[in-house]
Amino acid sequence: MAQPSNSGARRGAVGSKVGLIGRFRAMIGHHVHTFRDSLLRLFKEPLQTIMTSAVIAIALSLPATLLLAVDNARQFESNFESFSQITAYVQNDASPKQITTIKNQLEAMPEVASVTYVSPDQALQEFTAVSGLGSALEHLEVNPLPPVFIVEPKIEAPLGQDQAQQLLEQISQVTKIDDAQVDMLWLQRLRGLTQIGQKIVLALGAALGLGVLVIVGNSIRLAIHSRREEIIVVKLVGGTDAYVRRPFLYSGMLIGLIGALGAAFILLVGFWWLGSSVEHLSGLYNSQYRLLGPGFKGCLALIGAGATLGLCGSWLAVGRHLKDIKPR
Amino acid sequence: MIHFDNLSKRYPGGFEALKSINLHMDAGELAFLTGHSGAGKSTLLKLLMLLERPSSGALLINGKNVNRLANYKIPSYRRQLGVVFQDHQLLMDRSVFDNVALPLQVAGHPRKEMSRRVRAALDGVGLLSKERHSPMMLSGGEQQRVGIARAVVHKPRILLADEPTGNLDPALSAEIMALFRRFQDVGVTVLIATHDIDLINRMNCRIIRLEQGMVADNGGGYGSAI
Repeated sequence: MAQPSNSGARRGAVGSKVGLIGRFRAMIGHHVHTFRDSLLRLFKEPLQTIMTSAVIAIALSLPATLLLAVDNARQFESNFESFSQITAYVQNDASPKQITTIKNQLEAMPEVASVTYVSPDQALQEFTAVSGLGSALEHLEVNPLPPVFIVEPKIEAPLGQDQAQQLLEQISQVTKIDDAQVDMLWLQRLRGLTQIGQKIVLALGAALGLGVLVIVGNSIRLAIHSRREEIIVVKLVGGTDAYVRRPFLYSGMLIGLIGALGAAFILLVGFWWLGSSVEHLSGLYNSQYRLLGPGFKGCLALIGAGATLGLCGSWLAVGRHLKDIKPR
Repeated sequence: MIHFDNLSKRYPGGFEALKSINLHMDAGELAFLTGHSGAGKSTLLKLLMLLERPSSGALLINGKNVNRLANYKIPSYRRQLGVVFQDHQLLMDRSVFDNVALPLQVAGHPRKEMSRRVRAALDGVGLLSKERHSPMMLSGGEQQRVGIARAVVHKPRILLADEPTGNLDPALSAEIMALFRRFQDVGVTVLIATHDIDLINRMNCRIIRLEQGMVADNGGGYGSAI
């Protein structure tokens, strides 16, 4: 037995032969060991782990799904904002020559891609066919519909709200044009809805995030309880609070991480399941619209959020319950 | 090395476990702490481990008053001590090796050095061949020796033992006492709480006898420092 040394007792230096690098490597080694140990412990009690993670997965997937829905609605909005058609109503007394002039004028505008003329007769025919009011409309003595130009703005230069407004004013100033309109009202309503949706996502996310904290905290509380003896021994041989805390923090983080992986899985499956139907539907509308998935970044953010929540939950539990365990 | 200066411990409720204790132990000294149950032996050990704080008086370890040691410094203080517990306090879900390695692990020793020291400690107590066993597979005497290996693996300056031979037969007790002697020989201060009178008589060491929280006999044995 060698001469006893005090080196192990002092803070900072442990053992005269152990340098800073050795100590750092030992610390990393300890972290790896603790991490592995925490992971193995989760596998040792698979039912408990699966149940806890499943609850976390569901709690996380709810706000994530809603967030994705809001994101999709916004994408939908922006689609329409940039490609919306403008309807220009021409005064009823415009002569065919004037109409040709207007058409040329409209086509000359740089923001305009194409201009389609719909004569009052054509419009009436279409309306008769679509509305199903055929016989009633036949009784009309005069066609009340004005000649109309359908103006498509250029797709290469998607127009924002301001530019759309400018174009509208420009078109209305053309002689003999009564009015030009983009039907934006429903778009504004949709925007209002998505804003409400965003708020719901925030509220739901906060509430369910709190729920995840409680779930993780509870399972860590049980883990602390079942490892009570070990904690006491570790404290008796000079383990610091940080040392005692570490495995529980890793466990909490891992539970959150596994739960988040589950949530990401739920999200991806749901997206895949819904995606083909949406594609079919948008095909019927001749639209290029595709459902927006969570994407790699979104999944990563979700997993990060799960791990962070798990870590915070276990931190709270450890702070509360480790104090109760004192070696006697 | 260990110095109790007029130290008292009164528990909430008024029970006075220790009354004005004055004691001194030099470095490299081996002493027995004896007395009836409730005489204050365990309280004295608890004070040394900083599991309890004294109500008054000073406890100087290596010339430093540890009474007012901040809580966060307690772990590093405990790493100076080696403690052998009456009920072993071994972790049954870990191997003998891992149990002995624990004090080194909490102090952040590198793996290589850790295994070297653990093997040396296990070799010292004659259990090197059982490092992979679970403590549950060992006999009471072997478990106690694992506890001793864990108490000395980090080369503490002070070794405390609470009834280390509590339920061992005389031959095993003698073996374990011989171990403690070896640590004393290399300069470790050893304090053994026991009421095993036979053992004390055979050892010819300093005896500190407590009676109702007071030092009734200080010295006495052969080779005492005072």
